Amino acid sequence: MSTKYDAIIIGAGHNGLTTAAYLARAGQRVLVLERRDVVGGSVVTESPWPGYRVDTLQHFGGLRPDIVRDLDLARFGLTTTRVGLTALQPGGGALELGSGGGARAQAIGAFNRTDAERWPAFTALMAKVAGFLNEVYAAPFPRVPQIDAAEAPALAQLGLKLRGLGKKDMIEAVRVLPMSMLELLDEWFESDLLRGALAARGVHGLMQGPMGAGTAFLFLHLWANNDSLFQTRVKGGAGALSEALAQAATGFGAELRLGAEVAQVKLSGDRAAGVVLANGEEITAQRVVSALDPRRTFLGLVGPDALDPEFVWATQNIKLRGCVAKVNLALDGLPTFTGVTDAGLRGALTLSPSLNDLERAYDAAKYGGLSERPYLEVSLPTLAEPGLAPDGKHLLSVHMQFAPYRGEQADWATRIEAIVVNALAQLAPDLPGRILHSQVLTPRDLETRFGLSEGNLYHGEMMLDQILFMRPLSGWAQHRTPIENLYLCGPGTHPGGGVSGASGRNAARQILKDQKA
Amino acid sequence: MANNYDAIVIGGGHNGLIHAAYLARAGKKVVVLERRHLVGGAAVTEEIVPGFKFTEFSYVVSLLRPEIIRDLELPKHGLTILPLPSTFTPMDNGDYLAAWDDHDKTRREIWRHSPKDADAYDAYSRAMARMAMAVKPILSMIPPDPTSLSPKDLFGLLKLGGHAGSLSEKDFHNLAKLMTMSAADLLEEWFELDPLKGTKSASGIIGTFLGPRSPGTAYVLLHHYMGEIDGAFRAWGFAKGGTGGISNSIASSARALGVEVRLNASVAHVIVKGGRAVGVALENGDELYAKTISSSLDPKRTFLKLIEPRHLPDDFLTAIKRYRTRGSSGKVNLALSELPDFTALPGVGPLHRGAISISPSIEYIERAYDAAKYGDLPARPYIDSILPSMIDPDMAPPGQHVMSCFVQYAPYHLNGGWDDAKREAFGDSVVDTLAQYAPNLKRAIIGRQVLVPPDIERITGLTEGNIFAGELALHQLFFLRPAPGYTDYRTPIRGFWQCGSGTHPGGGIMGANGRLAALEVLKG
Repeated sequence: MSTKYDAIIIGAGHNGLTTAAYLARAGQRVLVLERRDVVGGSVVTESPWPGYRVDTLQHFGGLRPDIVRDLDLARFGLTTTRVGLTALQPGGGALELGSGGGARAQAIGAFNRTDAERWPAFTALMAKVAGFLNEVYAAPFPRVPQIDAAEAPALAQLGLKLRGLGKKDMIEAVRVLPMSMLELLDEWFESDLLRGALAARGVHGLMQGPMGAGTAFLFLHLWANNDSLFQTRVKGGAGALSEALAQAATGFGAELRLGAEVAQVKLSGDRAAGVVLANGEEITAQRVVSALDPRRTFLGLVGPDALDPEFVWATQNIKLRGCVAKVNLALDGLPTFTGVTDAGLRGALTLSPSLNDLERAYDAAKYGGLSERPYLEVSLPTLAEPGLAPDGKHLLSVHMQFAPYRGEQADWATRIEAIVVNALAQLAPDLPGRILHSQVLTPRDLETRFGLSEGNLYHGEMMLDQILFMRPLSGWAQHRTPIENLYLCGPGTHPGGGVSGASGRNAARQILKDQKA
Repeated sequence: MANNYDAIVIGGGHNGLIHAAYLARAGKKVVVLERRHLVGGAAVTEEIVPGFKFTEFSYVVSLLRPEIIRDLELPKHGLTILPLPSTFTPMDNGDYLAAWDDHDKTRREIWRHSPKDADAYDAYSRAMARMAMAVKPILSMIPPDPTSLSPKDLFGLLKLGGHAGSLSEKDFHNLAKLMTMSAADLLEEWFELDPLKGTKSASGIIGTFLGPRSPGTAYVLLHHYMGEIDGAFRAWGFAKGGTGGISNSIASSARALGVEVRLNASVAHVIVKGGRAVGVALENGDELYAKTISSSLDPKRTFLKLIEPRHLPDDFLTAIKRYRTRGSSGKVNLALSELPDFTALPGVGPLHRGAISISPSIEYIERAYDAAKYGDLPARPYIDSILPSMIDPDMAPPGQHVMSCFVQYAPYHLNGGWDDAKREAFGDSVVDTLAQYAPNLKRAIIGRQVLVPPDIERITGLTEGNIFAGELALHQLFFLRPAPGYTDYRTPIRGFWQCGSGTHPGGGIMGANGRLAALEVLKG
């Protein structure tokens, strides 16, 4: 049988689609296989109830600007808006980091004058350190410590670029990255509300509290992804981003098959030769690229028998402790959040009133329990885009932390909904009475529905020991795997999680480079 | 003039003394100024209850660099280190887990609880030993600044790079992981047995304000794993006469090399003239002058108490102010009429010659941390005890004993502040916890000394009672310790040096700081 494809991409999440688009753009014959009947993976907008368009899991997402440009995604309908960040205060009121710079300082000043004075210097430093990360994220991480001669010039260039940031800032970057959010924020701010809201970014999707070392890294990683502290809302729902990517990929000539579940990677000797679908169909290709997480790819699709036992052990040890539950609510009207402006409600709303509250939410999860006073990230997409719900109706989308995968019980969906609604009722007392429909996805649901091992959003926790040349596994940071011609392109690879597309783009670059060599 | 020296060393702790001894060995005229009536700093032995000698603060030794023992001929000056042969962990189910000084015996003991862990123990021990060997060279060099372009740093980087390059790819990666992960994650990769993981994870939190689930604690575990007594790798020991015995032997060696040690000589401030440190003024008004002045006090005390701020650049002052020194541990020293009798292993046995660790699981220690991180005292603390009188009978009257209990967590910033009642409540929680495993303990207590972080600060001068003179957090290690750009023991003031545990490579009775700093001072 002749091989029709240069590459098969397993999984049409945003990274799989990004890899497909870049490869197709370079003239490769690409086939994307998606298990579900919708593209997007965890960046998907669906209709659980007639007339509603719900961001099932991710409710914000931007992609790196250079990817948006490269793939001309605006032409495929991608429209995004930067949104503010509003820290909700239990009992009413909020700190709105939304509008322009001056207004922002004023808003912070209403809580703490010193914090307002320090804010510009803080954001300037964070932007610089995130800029430093962005340089490191622009290409596959070089193999260390034995650097290939071929990679040495790239590494040297990276080194020079980083030095170009200036010695003082570079030292600050190295100093800040391994810190905890507590240590970082202790150096800058006093206001509980501001500290709580910022600290929350450092633990989003992570099984750590803000007192854990390296949470400052996640804070900066997400900053680098968004090129800002602030997140991005996609017109038409987060899934519109995936749709645009799919259109770009097919526009460049990639083929896309939905409802096509891959059961295994087909090996020929120790090389990947194609895939076998769940229905038994075999498709061959020069290369197989998996956008699934590394554990699912290696232990599920390849199988431990084909791999070195030590590699299997390392794969089993990848930390994937999912801790986010998703709650989607349909409401028969806009709930009244007292003391929050309309502009504030249009952005990302954070309930994390203090750093200690956030740490206590983690404490519960550390021992396998649900956080009764959780950290919530809330989006009200229908304010900016009423068309996502029927006339007069609204949607409210919540990331709840912490709901640890490893402690999950049968009644958690019910309990999570009660905890979330109760927490929201403290902020908007009329909310419980307005609920028309609800959807709760526990970490186990996320695993089943999206194929995320242990429900981990990032395909591997974004902790210091699982980043850079250690992501996904030591010695395999260049998207390659022990199986020749099998590549990884998901966020389980460098530079990692969040909606950025960087892993997918870097994987395509590596594949094209290897092909030339 | 009598008060003129080549070098003044502030603080007669082990690092100050070692620093002074190395300078004197190079022919310098050196004086060590110690505030208290005895040398040793946090490594002192004092007779607090008549007849009972307490190793008041620091109580075991493993990191003391063998080159220092050789160079300063410490055995000749009375240093005798006796091995601590075992670790005994009583379990909540009435059983116990022990580690003996015989690898096979330990494996057999683990096998009794978990055959799987007994298998993993071999591979784990080998992997950790390899990692410790890989990190060790960093302890003997000034860490290069990776952001610098100076020839010195580039050379250092090359040396380190060459060293890293000599590691296999696998070891290099394992090392990078170990530097960044939590002790709990590391141990859970290998083991399933709770008391084994608990006891091993405890080395990752000693002296830190972190729980075993906090990233960065695997490095602290390795830091303690690197211990070597006189070149024998990976062993803990107890010095004859307590840790004060170590200090006394170093002081004796220093004096033999010509160092003058002045006790009860508290330094009020450093005299700076024209951007250069020229001397020190004592609390009693005396002034001493020297070409170089070295402080072995912690960085906060050194720069915020002894130096007027106008002599220091703003950036540097900021860095020192934000240098973190949260104290997290306390000490309970007991005078006993008889040995504690453990229900898990009754009678007097080898367990009494080793460490007794109250660390039944990672969760136990983590919960103790949970209380402390919000400023509360844990109901059941982590305790590491030894019975010095079992190793060195001179520590207590015949038939009687001293018990040294290192306790975590005791937060310096306790909610509502510390007072005598809280100190005693802390002491009670330690005794109660131990008595759950050794019920005769309470009636055996003749006297006790409870030391909480403010006590440690008051007596030893360590800011916030932090036993490492600054937390061993990733952002305070290597070229960032104590402040970026000042890891080479120099300070912004010419002629003024640092040589204490707040500098690279950190705390513990290691002495590397004092020695490396002396070698730098001698370079000029």
